[in-house]
Amino acid sequence: MMARNRQAIFWALFFPIMLVVVFGLFNFNGVGVAGVAVVDESGGPRAELFRERLEEIEFLQLEFDEISPTQAREKVIDGNLGYLIIIPDLFDNPSEQEAQTHEPAPVALVYSTRNPDRNQLVDGAVRNLVSDIHSAGAPVVPSRLLTADVIQVPEVDYFDNVLLGLLGLGIMTNSIISIAVRISTFRNQAILKRLLVTPLSIWKFFAAEITAHVLLALVQAGIILAVGVFVFGGKVHGNLLWVFCITALGSVVFLNIGFILSAWAKSPAAASGMGNVVAFPMMFLAGTFFSTAALPWILPQVSLVLPLTPMLEALRDVAIDREPIWDIWPHLAALGGWVLATSVVAVKVFKFR
Amino acid sequence: MEPAVQVENLVKRFGSFTAVDGVSFSVQRGEIFGILGPNGAGKTTTLEIVESLHKPTEGQASVLGLDVQANAAEVKARIGVQLQASAYYSYLNLREILALLGSFYPHKASPESLLDRVGLADKIKNRISELSGGQQQRFAVAASLVNNPEVVILDEPTTGLDPQARRNLWSLIQEVNQRGVTVLLTTHYMEEAEAICDRLAIMDHGKLLALDTPRNLINGLEASYTVKLTMEKPMTEAQLKSLNGGVDVVHSGEQLGGDGVDNTYLLRLANSPSALKSMLDEISKAGLGLENLQVTPVTLEDVFLELTGSEFRD
Repeated sequence: MMARNRQAIFWALFFPIMLVVVFGLFNFNGVGVAGVAVVDESGGPRAELFRERLEEIEFLQLEFDEISPTQAREKVIDGNLGYLIIIPDLFDNPSEQEAQTHEPAPVALVYSTRNPDRNQLVDGAVRNLVSDIHSAGAPVVPSRLLTADVIQVPEVDYFDNVLLGLLGLGIMTNSIISIAVRISTFRNQAILKRLLVTPLSIWKFFAAEITAHVLLALVQAGIILAVGVFVFGGKVHGNLLWVFCITALGSVVFLNIGFILSAWAKSPAAASGMGNVVAFPMMFLAGTFFSTAALPWILPQVSLVLPLTPMLEALRDVAIDREPIWDIWPHLAALGGWVLATSVVAVKVFKFR
Repeated sequence: MEPAVQVENLVKRFGSFTAVDGVSFSVQRGEIFGILGPNGAGKTTTLEIVESLHKPTEGQASVLGLDVQANAAEVKARIGVQLQASAYYSYLNLREILALLGSFYPHKASPESLLDRVGLADKIKNRISELSGGQQQRFAVAASLVNNPEVVILDEPTTGLDPQARRNLWSLIQEVNQRGVTVLLTTHYMEEAEAICDRLAIMDHGKLLALDTPRNLINGLEASYTVKLTMEKPMTEAQLKSLNGGVDVVHSGEQLGGDGVDNTYLLRLANSPSALKSMLDEISKAGLGLENLQVTPVTLEDVFLELTGSEFRD
């Protein structure tokens, strides 16, 4: 029955495609500013000079003053830090070292495989700087001044992250708005009232609507992922089955929210407006495109209590970090709680006329 | 056998507004029972209590011996309902809508036979929007029969239809009734109530004013004819009184209002051949010029006027 509403289906499927296309066209992988942590084991004046010169490089931003090499390495692996530079103990006093090896102690540069273009740039810049500083003393072989410690991580770029954000966004927006508008239309046309004079039980009506919309959500999810992966080269590393399971669970939460809104909406147009009002802020606050850590004020805390947040975290944990489904149970429990809470409210406030 | 529908001292209040005010009646099995009244009389609310869409504030309603509040599901399964303003899924064709509605019931009639009964067999693949108003109402009747109901409740089934389509629907309703289905309907058309209802309840302002067969209701009036006189000149009160050998003066010219009807008078006459004759004698005796004279039998409209003291608000 739903399949006959061609216009609604068109928009339901067109909207996510449009989103993926628009975001796919952005160049999210530009160099930008790279976060760098420096661990100074030498503490001498030459090391100090090195730090100062490092700060003058435009695309590097020094972070984490007090950090241990192990901690910093962890951050590089997690993607929270771009580069780690370790200035060795003997950096400032090469003569002692040179007495044994005829070469100054190399600076260690630690980074992950996440951003190859930027890695080249940073590697070159740091290498030049080290060479510059050392050549003030004696001639040196540049290649031996820096050791690069490259950590292999699964290939993830910003687009992969956004692709899952778009998936969550598409499912949320469509589930909330399409059900709110649909139910509001049915109520306005007294279709709901017509159903009420039949012995059809209310829960069966709810179940049928939710089943149909969850199926549509899964098709949407398939389209978003297919366009993202095959057209724009995004990647999904984890188990696709779990991605679809999380999508279905999240979709139920948003459908319930749609049912709740439809109880208050006086007309289909109002239902659509209300749906947008709920969906739009949630899109930004739940970290669809940008990390919620960057949000100002109490908004990061607000983010934690929105239903889209656990859905996106679960999706990213499974699809990007390849976590097994049982490891992300807190997110699933949060979504489950939302299903329960919204179901209770929906059944309580729902009106047939 | 229990009556098909029985309501006792039904009261329904919405806030401070009383929509239904102490209504009692019972519909016998096999009859066509009509509730006649102007818009806002409380007809629809009464039906919706019987359909268990509303809970009565006071009183009770039962269908086929079952209290509708306590047995809502069983009552819904055994009655057929056509709501006043209800749409059907616009993306389904007629056969699909009937199949879907039928799937909600334990017993169902086939969409083909239902559409055949209401003369829409050739529209089986069409959608609602492709039907005329009359066809849509016939489809609504078909939809109300989807569960082979024992009682069908039709809320203003002919409102908004042209006279031809209305008559068409009357014969459909009578045909349904002849197959043994009890029909409870509302209408605000006097003519319709008179033509198809076995018994009639007249409602206004939430109250039941009268209940009988249309014939008995009409016969209950003292007058049998309405006479409309148009005189050359206005009559005095005394002249008017002298004419009225019958029952009463309903309207003076002013009340009828409008252009050029100042000299028009409406009278009711008793059912005796002498009443009309004596009125005409009086007119010629007094030398009053008579321009026009219309004599019509009294109708339910006159019954309504008699009961409420006011004209029927359509």
